[in-house]
Amino acid sequence: MSDLLEDLWAAYASTLGFAMVNAFFALATYATLSAGILSFAAVTYGAAGGFLGAQLLLNTTLPLPLIFLASALAGLVMAMIVAALFLRLESHWMALSSLALVLITRVVVLNTPGLTGGVNGLSLPAPLSMIWLVALLALAVFGFWLLDRSWYGIAAKSVREDPSVAACLGIDPRRIQLIAMAVSGLAGGLGGVLMAMMLQFVSPDTFFIHVAFTMIAGVVLGGSHHWFGPVLGAAVFTALPTVMQAVVPDLQDIANGAALLLIMIFLPRGLLDPRAIRLRRAAK
Amino acid sequence: MDLFLAQLLNGCALGALYGLFGIGFGLVFATMGILNAAQGAYASWAAIIAMYAIELAGLPFPLAALAGIAAGGAVAVLVDQLGFEPLRRFGPGNHQAAMLGALITSIAFWIMLDSAAGLMTGQQSLAFPPGSYPATVFQIGPLLLPAMQAVSLLALAVVGGGMHWLNTRTRFGAAMRAVGWDPVAAALGGVNSRVIVVATAGLAGGISGLAGILAGISTANISAGLGQGLMLKGFAAVVVGGYDDIRGTAIAGLLLGVLEVFCAQYLSSSWRDAFAYALLLGFLMLRPRGLFGGGGFTRA
Amino acid sequence: MSLLALDGVRKSFGGVTAVADLSFSVREGAVAGLMGPNGAGKTTVINLISGLLHPDTGTIRIAATDIAHAPPHEIAATGLARTYQNVRLIAGMTALEQVLAGRYLRRDTSLLASILHLPAARTAMRAARDHARALLARVGMDHRADTLAETLSYGEQRRVEIARALAAEPRLLLLDEPTAGMNAAESAEIGRLVHALRDGGLTVLMVEHNMKLVADFCDHVVVMNFGRKIAEGTAAECIGDPAVQEAYFGRRHAQH
Repeated sequence: MSDLLEDLWAAYASTLGFAMVNAFFALATYATLSAGILSFAAVTYGAAGGFLGAQLLLNTTLPLPLIFLASALAGLVMAMIVAALFLRLESHWMALSSLALVLITRVVVLNTPGLTGGVNGLSLPAPLSMIWLVALLALAVFGFWLLDRSWYGIAAKSVREDPSVAACLGIDPRRIQLIAMAVSGLAGGLGGVLMAMMLQFVSPDTFFIHVAFTMIAGVVLGGSHHWFGPVLGAAVFTALPTVMQAVVPDLQDIANGAALLLIMIFLPRGLLDPRAIRLRRAAK
Repeated sequence: MDLFLAQLLNGCALGALYGLFGIGFGLVFATMGILNAAQGAYASWAAIIAMYAIELAGLPFPLAALAGIAAGGAVAVLVDQLGFEPLRRFGPGNHQAAMLGALITSIAFWIMLDSAAGLMTGQQSLAFPPGSYPATVFQIGPLLLPAMQAVSLLALAVVGGGMHWLNTRTRFGAAMRAVGWDPVAAALGGVNSRVIVVATAGLAGGISGLAGILAGISTANISAGLGQGLMLKGFAAVVVGGYDDIRGTAIAGLLLGVLEVFCAQYLSSSWRDAFAYALLLGFLMLRPRGLFGGGGFTRA
Repeated sequence: MSLLALDGVRKSFGGVTAVADLSFSVREGAVAGLMGPNGAGKTTVINLISGLLHPDTGTIRIAATDIAHAPPHEIAATGLARTYQNVRLIAGMTALEQVLAGRYLRRDTSLLASILHLPAARTAMRAARDHARALLARVGMDHRADTLAETLSYGEQRRVEIARALAAEPRLLLLDEPTAGMNAAESAEIGRLVHALRDGGLTVLMVEHNMKLVADFCDHVVVMNFGRKIAEGTAAECIGDPAVQEAYFGRRHAQH
């Protein structure tokens, strides 16, 4: 029995690890989405955190917590730059701009080999211990829980659902969205360095368009109206390919896509929907 | 000077493909408000079908190209009806939520279509058989113009002009815009919105498919990845040109092609994409309505 | 002294003038009515005052501050709250949460303190919840406090919306057709509520079609048609005014 468990652990430990790393990106996307901004820029925050973290790991002897902190702050700085440039744009343009930013990120990463290793990327020696990952994710989730239960949470919900009503209640939508982007930057930057450590490698392809789409799919899949949705969605979206590979090896991508499509059509508000839960509770 | 002119021509021919693809991509975004991640797959599929039409069915190039365009359109209609239509009917009323839902289903189709395209091509990069497409080279003064470059430029002019005419001069164009604004109101006003939506999707798929076929020839690379390259630049063309502005998209596509070729020639080939995307970002921030922004409509 | 004063306010959309050279003022502590046929520009006026729209020319003062070009959240902070012609509650929130959102301006704690759940912030949040519950009781909705607001009846949603507007303890309350879609008993209840609010010192400007309500509760009435003010005075004066008769019932009727 314990052998079986050990085998299972060996087989799925890395899936679990990536699910947790992806949860950071999903949370970073959820952070802005929950204040009414559809943004893919978490990829860019991830790149900032990932490459800075990798350089610090390779070239300094800083303790891990400081490296995590520095990476999260790198994401935050990047997010504030993005906010200064994009926050005045209307929602459609914001989405498009952030997508453009993801494209530009890759070009910049490719062309600054001194910082990023360019095409070849950077290889990292030591793997990330699972304990760190669990602890940091717990910390992040705790942070989102605090946000949700605060005045910020109430204001963000209002801004997301109806910005002009929110404004007439005295809520400054830009201020709320600025906080949302700061949170997104912190989570994305931290996710970036964790991704780098998990892969033991970072390259221009680590933070590109597929990450943007995966994380937004994870958020919507899990449910974008509660902080647990992105965590759940990231887990499903990470595990799905592994499961599909075991079940239908040749058609795994097609099966992934079909699963995503079906969930979206039949559960448009995601797997975890607080509104539906409240409605069900009310019906009782 | 000759080199300059020759590169200008190369840039325009490349840019014509971006413009063409962008017109298809922009059509879906402007009329239906959908940021369609699967659009690139239409181009890959059209190129693959056109190639097999030549290789396996032995069709002459023009017929094979038509088959490819039809395939692009058919795939687009399929994606629209399976992926977007359910959201229009049962989806959330909130505009942003609806946009997000359509983006996700389009990602789902992007994954499926790219993967299926990979199976179709045996995960390889294929090419049209040599001699299966027009390969004449015209000489205009000092310039050499390969027939397929001429076809690309012509295709952009015809499609761009045709779409502009359709959009501004016909009832179909007006109906497309009406459905884009508000499907419910359009249905009440007598526009059969489902027919219009299907026709728009098919048209957009066909146009992107044509761009895919031409790109498949000019790059001699037909694979599942063909569409993705087109999509990134086509997306840039749409934004720089203004997503509801066909003329702007066409010109922006040309501009991006020329910029790319000249950057590679005179500056640095590794930074050439950076210029294109920097232009894209600059426009998003400074002129979000595009090159000729102003007319047309916005989605508030 | 007037709490709200519009002076020479004009707003046009494209070529269409929605509000033209509108001037009127509302005395502190008064209940003012804004009347007029459909399309007269009443809701545009409400949107101009609350900052969702900005006038092309003219000034809008609350107390002494010109807020014509201020953003809505700053106007709200000067003590203005409003309701909407078609109730606009926030999707996914319970009745209590709606009112709590309305309490944002009076949260008595910084956002950061609230996020960190500092003890003072937690006390303030508890106080805000109690206040919200009390307001729901005031509009007779406390028994539905934890119900998802979108599942409430239309009349109940209107009452929640009024409670939300009151949560910020405004000086000036804009009500845009507060009794639309309500039956006579519910309308009368809204009327009594407005009266009680005025007795508590609140200044109210309401768009209202219900003549009885206007006659019973408004100290002062402004009538608009085609974006212009066509009459102003007490309810009785306005209803008797030939221009008002003409606007509402047509020319022939007015001559009789």
